[in-house]
Amino acid sequence: MSTAIHLPRSGFDFSNANRNAFLEGKGVKMPKATSTGTTIVGCLFKDGIVLGADTRATAGPIVADKNCEKIHYISESIRCCGAGTAADTEFVTALISSNIELHALSTGRKPRVVTAMTMLKQRLFQYQGHIGAALVLGGVDATGAHLFTIHPHGSTDKLPYVTMGSGSLAAMAVFESGWRPSLEREQALQLVVAAISAGIFNDLGSGSNVDACVITATHTEMLRNYVMPNVRVEKERKYGFRRGTTAWTRENVRDMVVSEESRPIATAASGEAMDTS
Amino acid sequence: MHQEPSLRIVPAKAPVKASISDTANSLGLHDTLKYGPRSLADEIKSNPLQARLENWDDTQRTFKLTTHRNIYGLHAPMRQLMERKIVSFNPHMPAMPQSNIHLDILEGRDETLDVTDFFQIDADPPMDIHADMERKLRM
Repeated sequence: MSTAIHLPRSGFDFSNANRNAFLEGKGVKMPKATSTGTTIVGCLFKDGIVLGADTRATAGPIVADKNCEKIHYISESIRCCGAGTAADTEFVTALISSNIELHALSTGRKPRVVTAMTMLKQRLFQYQGHIGAALVLGGVDATGAHLFTIHPHGSTDKLPYVTMGSGSLAAMAVFESGWRPSLEREQALQLVVAAISAGIFNDLGSGSNVDACVITATHTEMLRNYVMPNVRVEKERKYGFRRGTTAWTRENVRDMVVSEESRPIATAASGEAMDTS
Repeated sequence: MHQEPSLRIVPAKAPVKASISDTANSLGLHDTLKYGPRSLADEIKSNPLQARLENWDDTQRTFKLTTHRNIYGLHAPMRQLMERKIVSFNPHMPAMPQSNIHLDILEGRDETLDVTDFFQIDADPPMDIHADMERKLRM
């Protein structure tokens, strides 16, 4: 085939891979990606899907963000919760969201959840787990409500209730004991809150607030900071000094506004004046 | 490029090769002044993911062509390759940034967004227009 087509390269840049491997061999510490050690969940109820997420982002032992958003927009009635490397979950969901929108415009129909799932898993499989995104994808389309988990290497599950992230075991314990088929909206929302709370309080990688998202065939409701169990209390003491703590012997208040008075000098009627006529 | 018919959906783990044939000067040695320093020993140590990503589209295309050959007969992939070849003729200056929407349509890429569409690694204009022209005209 002709080699005349030169398409621009992009995506992963490997130009520094050898250099970095060499430096790492010499003992240089390489920067680590911010990961969302996370609890994300989703469950089916009578009319649709409830998704839930905590809001803590961690970078190693440090809490990088106390109130981040982990429920990402895919389309009007499809949302995706992301755990794993924060940048990768953001980027891959944004990319698939754009592609789903183009696909919807092209076909003239509302996008299906399986379409988004297939796009996501194919991309993750292509990159062999180097895109560190563990996702919970849920939505309602023409064929009903669907809930998927997508692992970083591209494998997927379809289940009535799913959990992901480091707090997934705590959250799954709540679902296993509390989930029943055809729950009411309020019951499902409370179950999701309980599952995320289990992750927040029992998993060190999860914390702060509970985000939730209720998707039905007609309406999507994003409940940002639906429950805030970890509001920072006000400090018991104030550490500012009272006015007048320091004694003084002399007070001198200066007027900092400089006022000046200008007076035009009358020109002498002599030949020295410049002719400005 | 010419590839054997194959039903692989994922690029094979081929041994990494590096050669100075692309960057050689008239004496057959690597042209350091033109292309910068280079180490073949380092290049063959490259990441396995890199080869996978670089060969991904070719492998997928070969799979499709082979499937079409098995289903419709040899004429189907021949016709597609002919269309690709016609479309890949590009009369424009090689140094300018260019796209090929005909090719995008043939590849089914015209209604998708990928990283290439908004992030480009080598977005700078190439400096050596003579070399680009020589490569285009196969001089």
